Amino acid sequence: MRAYSHTLSRMGGNMRRVGLYINISLVLFLGVLGLSWLTHGTGVIQNDTSRNIYIPKDLTMPLQVKVAYNGRDIFFRYRWPAKQASIYHDMVKFEGGKWVRYGGSVAGPQPQGIYEDRVTMLVDDGSVPEFARYGGYITIGDRMRFFTNEATAKEVRAHPYLGQKRNQTEVGKHLPATRKDINDWASVVPEEELAALRKGGYFLDLWHWRAHRGGPIGASDDQFVFDARSGDAGKGAFTDNWDSQKQQPKVMFDPQKNKNQRSLKWDDLIQRKLGFDDVYFITEDTAVPFDAAYAWKDGDTIPRRLLRKPDGSHADITVVGQARWKDGYWDVTLKRAMDTGKPTDDKIMLDKRVYNVAFAVHRDALGSRWHNVSMPVTLGLGRDAELVATRFDGDEPAWNQAWHTVTLFYPGQVNWANLNSKKHAGAESIKKGVPVKYRHSEIQLAHYGVEAEFADAIRRQWLLTMLAGVILIAGFGIALNLLLTRKQGV
Amino acid sequence: MAGYHVVLVHFPIALWMTATLAILWRALSDGALAKAIDRALVPLLVVGLISGLAAYAVGLMVWPWETISSTPLGRNHVLLATWTVAYWTLLLATRWIQGEAVWDGVMRWVMAGLAILGSALLGITGTLGGHLVGIYTEVSEALRFFGWEVYTTFYVPTLTLAAIGAATVLLIGLGIWGRAPQRSAG
Repeated sequence: MRAYSHTLSRMGGNMRRVGLYINISLVLFLGVLGLSWLTHGTGVIQNDTSRNIYIPKDLTMPLQVKVAYNGRDIFFRYRWPAKQASIYHDMVKFEGGKWVRYGGSVAGPQPQGIYEDRVTMLVDDGSVPEFARYGGYITIGDRMRFFTNEATAKEVRAHPYLGQKRNQTEVGKHLPATRKDINDWASVVPEEELAALRKGGYFLDLWHWRAHRGGPIGASDDQFVFDARSGDAGKGAFTDNWDSQKQQPKVMFDPQKNKNQRSLKWDDLIQRKLGFDDVYFITEDTAVPFDAAYAWKDGDTIPRRLLRKPDGSHADITVVGQARWKDGYWDVTLKRAMDTGKPTDDKIMLDKRVYNVAFAVHRDALGSRWHNVSMPVTLGLGRDAELVATRFDGDEPAWNQAWHTVTLFYPGQVNWANLNSKKHAGAESIKKGVPVKYRHSEIQLAHYGVEAEFADAIRRQWLLTMLAGVILIAGFGIALNLLLTRKQGV
Repeated sequence: MAGYHVVLVHFPIALWMTATLAILWRALSDGALAKAIDRALVPLLVVGLISGLAAYAVGLMVWPWETISSTPLGRNHVLLATWTVAYWTLLLATRWIQGEAVWDGVMRWVMAGLAILGSALLGITGTLGGHLVGIYTEVSEALRFFGWEVYTTFYVPTLTLAAIGAATVLLIGLGIWGRAPQRSAG
């Protein structure tokens, strides 16, 4: 009897012990699952500007747009949030006896905050059908500037057409049909074909307002995207103020027109002391030839871009009123003749016609590919469309209509070649002509864009995670069954 | 293959959801009906697993591996499908090996919890499959609320992988350790 009672007591003890082990196993299993949930998505995505990788904090942003036309001119009004106005750009600072450049295009935000805000708009009239479906994605080709695998300046300079004829030093936006193979930036089609394509309207008009390079003198750049991104015929609103042979600026401020100052003060720029009504830019009217003999002091700073009055087709787009940032928002209005008379530079706007447009904004001292872009948007001039341009009488619109809000997103390193490759599940849909907006949202595209920058690393980590999960499930199963068998056998 | 995959996934979904209900019922009841349903559980889970594996295999043929493993939604769908199949295999193996002992004491609640977790995995897998073909549900909103943006690949950092590895070793160790006295007592 005592032995039986001892056996029962031992059995009870074993059962409690096994029960404890099962509970521990359960806690361990669920604990690791919890840890996985809490830490997922970390450990891979990291900024690395040496590889042209920088992920903005905000992956989407709103842009408000209004459009109006009077039969002669068309007006676009843009409004977007920005923490502050970034109106300085590309400066040379005197330090240690030489002029050092700050504020050129860099990967990620310009460290000193010297990089201008911008708003851009691609326009098409149907001559580039893929643009209506995929927007700016079609302009992003192989080995683009500031992609991790960007083509080197040496490679581009050596290209017989892009480098030697077009003076390109990097692979910029271009349209797919300008290349024989979308997987090869260098495979430009013969020049006769390029000429025929352009004549046939195969290009995108590009409206490009910059807060420094043109903004202060009420000018906007007028460009187009074709075999590269180019300015329309004529003189642009800015040029370089840099003598590369002498390694010094070409011009400086005219002291007689700038309170006896030949330069800006670096500290004023860094502390953002100079506002819209101060002198923070240099124009042909306020410049005199650079005086190398002047006793320059450390911190003297001269804008590396000289603003000038644009002309020709390049001057078609002008700023209406004053483009200003106020209370956290930019408000910029651009105007252009509906018919500029230059159909190979501009998309001619006609009443009762529908166009396709796509917008982009640069802010937070971010340049080059670190912009937020939109999906393609239809624009109807007195026609039903996503964005309807309102007809008005007179010279300037009253802007009574409601804003049309477009969500812009960070596009990451996604190019047209990849989208048409086996790496994109939607490549077949692209072949069938399914528009991007029917399958993807802006935030989805932003996340995909980010992941594209870490494609190999994320794929590897995902495979390991999948395997680890299976091993964990198997381990838990083994533990549970060993313990339960023990319990049965007690 | 996409069409065949869509047809095939209905079977494991139906069978595993039914199995979930059966497990929950048996966990809550020792009645005759619950016991009768429990007797059908192993066949139910076996057929569920076979149809699940078939759907999984056909699913892998919808897109080339290079495609499905390059897209975040595709990766997530494959990952969750893999875990779902593995998980239901665990439930089947446990019920099959342990028999009715899985309903003893606290284990019945463990089984109920595991079934709910398995259903959740199944639901998420299905939701992600829907996303892949352009059919969206609010489940992804719920996942977003709980901290997972389904448009980003689900992966864990190397440190967590190490923790999973360590936990797996510990789990097996616990099983062996917990089993050891039986042999000595026997």
